[in-house]
Amino acid sequence: MDELKKQLTTASAESRQEWRGKLISYLAIVIIGGLVATILLFLTSKGLALFTKDGYSLGTFLTSSNWQPSHHFYGALPMIVTSFAVTLLAGIVALPLALVSAVAITEMLPKRANQWIQPVIELLVGVPSVVYGYVGLTVIVPRLGQLFGGTGFGILAATCVLFLMVLPTMTSMTIDNLRRVPKEYRLASAGLGATRWQTISRVVIPSAKGGILTAMIFGMARAFGEALAVQMVIGNAAVMPDGLMSSAATLTSVLTTGIGNTVMGTTSNNALWSLALILLLMSLAFNLLLRLAARKGEH
Amino acid sequence: MRAEKVDKIATTVVLALAGLTGLAVVSFLVYLLVVGLPNVSWHFLFSPAESFKSGGGIRDQLFNSLYLVVLTMLVSVPLALCAAIYLSEYAPQNRLTALLRLAIEVLSSLPSVVIGLFGYLVFVLQFGLDFSLLAGALALTILNLPLLTRSCEDALRQVPALQRQAGLGLGMSKWRVTTKIVLPAALSGIITGAILSAGRIFGEAAALIYTAGQSAPAISYTDWNPFSPTSFLNPLRPAETLAVHIWKVNSEGLVPDARAVSNGSAAVLIITILAFNLLARLVGSLIKRRLAK
Amino acid sequence: MTEQAALEVKNLHVAYGAKQVVQDVSLKFPARQITAMIGASGSGKSTVLRSLNRMNDDLATVTGTINFHGLNINQPDVNVYRVRQRIGMVFQQPTPFPLSIYENVIYGLRLAGERDRRVLDQRVEESLRQAALWDEVKDQLKASALALSGGQQQRLCIARTLAVRPEIILMDEPTSALDPVSTSQIEETLVQLKEQFTIIMVTHNMQQASRSADWTAFMHQGRLVEFGPTAQIFMNPQEEQTADYLSGKFG
Repeated sequence: MDELKKQLTTASAESRQEWRGKLISYLAIVIIGGLVATILLFLTSKGLALFTKDGYSLGTFLTSSNWQPSHHFYGALPMIVTSFAVTLLAGIVALPLALVSAVAITEMLPKRANQWIQPVIELLVGVPSVVYGYVGLTVIVPRLGQLFGGTGFGILAATCVLFLMVLPTMTSMTIDNLRRVPKEYRLASAGLGATRWQTISRVVIPSAKGGILTAMIFGMARAFGEALAVQMVIGNAAVMPDGLMSSAATLTSVLTTGIGNTVMGTTSNNALWSLALILLLMSLAFNLLLRLAARKGEH
Repeated sequence: MRAEKVDKIATTVVLALAGLTGLAVVSFLVYLLVVGLPNVSWHFLFSPAESFKSGGGIRDQLFNSLYLVVLTMLVSVPLALCAAIYLSEYAPQNRLTALLRLAIEVLSSLPSVVIGLFGYLVFVLQFGLDFSLLAGALALTILNLPLLTRSCEDALRQVPALQRQAGLGLGMSKWRVTTKIVLPAALSGIITGAILSAGRIFGEAAALIYTAGQSAPAISYTDWNPFSPTSFLNPLRPAETLAVHIWKVNSEGLVPDARAVSNGSAAVLIITILAFNLLARLVGSLIKRRLAK
Repeated sequence: MTEQAALEVKNLHVAYGAKQVVQDVSLKFPARQITAMIGASGSGKSTVLRSLNRMNDDLATVTGTINFHGLNINQPDVNVYRVRQRIGMVFQQPTPFPLSIYENVIYGLRLAGERDRRVLDQRVEESLRQAALWDEVKDQLKASALALSGGQQQRLCIARTLAVRPEIILMDEPTSALDPVSTSQIEETLVQLKEQFTIIMVTHNMQQASRSADWTAFMHQGRLVEFGPTAQIFMNPQEEQTADYLSGKFG
């Protein structure tokens, strides 16, 4: 009896192994969690240095449209406005086309067509953003210059590039969401005498609206954070844009060109980190929006 | 007949718009290949880049891109897999787990330029790694972790709970059930996810310009000592990748044949990504078939 | 057979690709009665049912005539959407749309272009009463239909079909996904509905057929073996195959 008791209450090779395995997996997740905390902490403290250490006014930073680091003017408004402008424009153009393409693929085209479409979309999702930027630089910018005069660099060129870049992602996410709509809905709707379009517009799209919204926000978040592709075509003038064809700069493009040209710890360098902090906060905001959209999609 | 007419019109409009979109997107791909492929030759793939004159190749950039992918996968796969095992097998349903999931989600939503800046701040400056393959690989690891963790977790979760119970019922430890039963069953999903993520980081540039750097110093492919500064294996040397090269040549480059070099590089990038995608499909179906036997 | 036929099927053949699944079925469904179609899985009974309001159009080749008020509705130039408004269908799984209860019920009316609030309100109450669901949901018409229980969802789907005032309701194993209590509620509902509607129901459940159906058709391997009053089919089947099936020798 005691023998059995002892056997059942002491460690075995199996339980020791379990302990070790648990430790390894705990460690991995702790590393990732710690990493995220470190990133947030570092970028926040660096991003606040402009206001805490250099005493620059947060109000001026956010509302002034004068960005001249050489003269100690750090108004970030032009970059904030431009970042939002190109993101929204690209999202607004891409959403209907992504939706239309996804509807055509899931609801209208024969299943066989998918064997070809699916890999092409996957490839497009994987095309590096630099390549999109490069095509923007060599194809879109010259065309825009011919069409509208001027250099072609600017908001419109950046919008086109971002649109091309997020379209595949948004389309493939929308496809997934439309596929998730139970096929019984389609049958039941048809059984009540609905045409295909009535079924699509009244049942399929409304059921997937949470997911479609998620796809749109996801695409826009990606566009907002894209750096190099935008930097290559936007003209990089840190001024308030006054039209679709005007050269401008986004938060990301200023960061890309600026970080290498400033010295760590100087005020103009700190101002760049403040831009990075805005970028970070915006990506958190997009994240929050995604969660809200996902929650909405559950109902 | 109204509803039917609307149906016909809507169908035509949807198909037409989708067709135009598809056409635009496909012509984008075809354009890249048509202008790019003529520039791709053995000479282009296997000779070093030039700084001021034309005729340069992409040998070092191509190697750097691949080497960086390997280094990144060496760090990120074990880490992501163990984290995924925690999330799918061990994580209790509580606030802490929710917080950890949130953290991973936040990580996945960070723009790659922000991750690059963090890498610059911490790996390049604080750790004193300078612009190096290692700093680049660590930055790419951060970029890669969230998606890879999620795809690993998805793969693990698809293994039926009954198989786990069967293992536990035999007196196996949970860890042993995970490594001996769950992991093999989830292997095809895990490998597919890993290859796809490798393709993604292969073309990454924004996270690298301030971590792995923008220069490709001369390296020797015969020097196998990873500690020698000119060895191709040395993880502490700066390394411009193919994607960074395209950006660099076009924004600050001085070579006269920038167009030809970038066209060729873009084509090589796309074909490599395509190869990664095809490989993922192939490996996924191969392993599935082998397990089905 | 003195009953008036609501729907008459003649020489119906259905094929999925090269595979014949229904062969030469001819049958008259009596008006304002419940007809049950029974048979083993794969006997073709569901396929026949789905052909009756052209739900098989995209999946299979259906040949033969289906007479509805003297018109063969199995012809390409017949408006399938109108057909399905007159011959409604309720499926195996309850399929409420992710909309409110109210919006679910008027879905078919909206399709037909009905906008008048009073008509819609009145039709919602009428159909929900007919489906014996009104008393349970009258205070939460704006609530999501997905919050209802399985049995309530299925009665909602019946109400949704009734709201367009069809003549015939096709039911494809309408209770197979439900618990016994919900099943008996739906069977009671069906008995009341047959005063106004013709009901054709596919079922796996012998008791259900014998309890609620006036007529029973037995199908086997794509052919109609026997059709007659339910009592006769169950007590005194004319065909050996029917007797074998009913006694559980196969199925």
